[in-house]
Amino acid sequence: MPRLSNLVRCVSDMTKQSSNLPESYIKRAMEQVSWQTPKAKQYRQVVVKRKKYRFTTHRPWTEQFQSQNPPGVQRAKVFMEPLLDWTFFKGDRVEVLAGPDKGKQGLVNYIVQERNWVMVEGLNCQYQFLGKKKNYPGMMMKIENPLSVTEHVALLDPSDNKPTQAEWRYTEEGERVRVSVRTGRLIPIPTLAEETPDYKSKASYAEQSKDTISDDLTQITFQPTLKTFEMDIAEKMNIKDDRVPIKTYWY
Amino acid sequence: MVGLTLIHTRGLTTSAVALGKHNFRKFLTYGKRGTKIQKERMSKNPNLDPQVTREHDRGLRPVGLSDGKQFHIVPEMIPEIIVPDLAGFKLKPYVSYRVPDVVQSEFTPQDLFYAVYSEKIAQDFKNNKLDEDSNPIEPSEEELLTAEEAKNKVLCLGSDIYSSKR
Repeated sequence: MPRLSNLVRCVSDMTKQSSNLPESYIKRAMEQVSWQTPKAKQYRQVVVKRKKYRFTTHRPWTEQFQSQNPPGVQRAKVFMEPLLDWTFFKGDRVEVLAGPDKGKQGLVNYIVQERNWVMVEGLNCQYQFLGKKKNYPGMMMKIENPLSVTEHVALLDPSDNKPTQAEWRYTEEGERVRVSVRTGRLIPIPTLAEETPDYKSKASYAEQSKDTISDDLTQITFQPTLKTFEMDIAEKMNIKDDRVPIKTYWY
Repeated sequence: MVGLTLIHTRGLTTSAVALGKHNFRKFLTYGKRGTKIQKERMSKNPNLDPQVTREHDRGLRPVGLSDGKQFHIVPEMIPEIIVPDLAGFKLKPYVSYRVPDVVQSEFTPQDLFYAVYSEKIAQDFKNNKLDEDSNPIEPSEEELLTAEEAKNKVLCLGSDIYSSKR
């Protein structure tokens, strides 16, 4: 099990999964290498790079995140309760427990697991004025403020639509499910949780011209023969070569 | 006040060149050894100092062989890239998200043996076509193949499976 303090430092699973981007890209886009030894055999491979980032509502591979974490600037540490089991998904019905919208229920819109944040659609908002000028008051935007998962938000029990604590448990079949602690009722994972920028759900993905379809992929065309890869290709391309090389010996 | 004067001195090294007076830790250096004439000669015939060329050659395979003095280009060593005709090829560069997870076990040499030889051996055993040493009386083409013949078949296409330079 990794150290909890290291868990809090890394990009979280929910961020990676909802982005549908390869992990190597996220790591590459985020990293700030201040020094790296040259790639030659006489050097010991050493990389000095930034480890502490201030995670925000902007995703780690975006430009806004980079401007919020400029190289050389050390931001104040945000003390976080590391949660091993994350119970919130996009599209979950939750109730807000604190703030001006206390008691109201809504759907989860956006998750920032690194900060234990959740944005509920239309609740706990602030008003921002963009493009303010002398004569022009600016365009007003209603933006949801993040809510802390540990204190300000609770999942709803489907049986009575009241806030409850949720736990991950296993069914008799061995499936891992969320269960309301108060009643023991199963809280199903919403369908919006599967959503990514590429598709709403995997089954509804529209296949493009460069995508291999499952029929072609699952077809087994391999026929085991007593040939190496080169021999197989030579036969198929009608390349004939009978010249046997001279035998060499080791002494 | 006593006046200060800057005294210029020049040092001599009676031991090996540089002797640790150069900082090679922070940067890679190229082309710092040898006179201009030496470098010119080296560029024309790289085999004069094969160790140096091997260090800086970026791993290119040689296109011929040298007999100490001259480099002879061997046409068989020049690589020829063979690309098959991909007309009607169904596999595409990307995979759709709708595809189920395909899990396949490793195809081991044992599996290859079972695919190529096992059927004939079982048939021969049933029809009593194996002699006292369990060798087949009517061997097939694959069963007649010796180790040397098989190796030669692989090598005659210029394969580098058995070479150490892979």
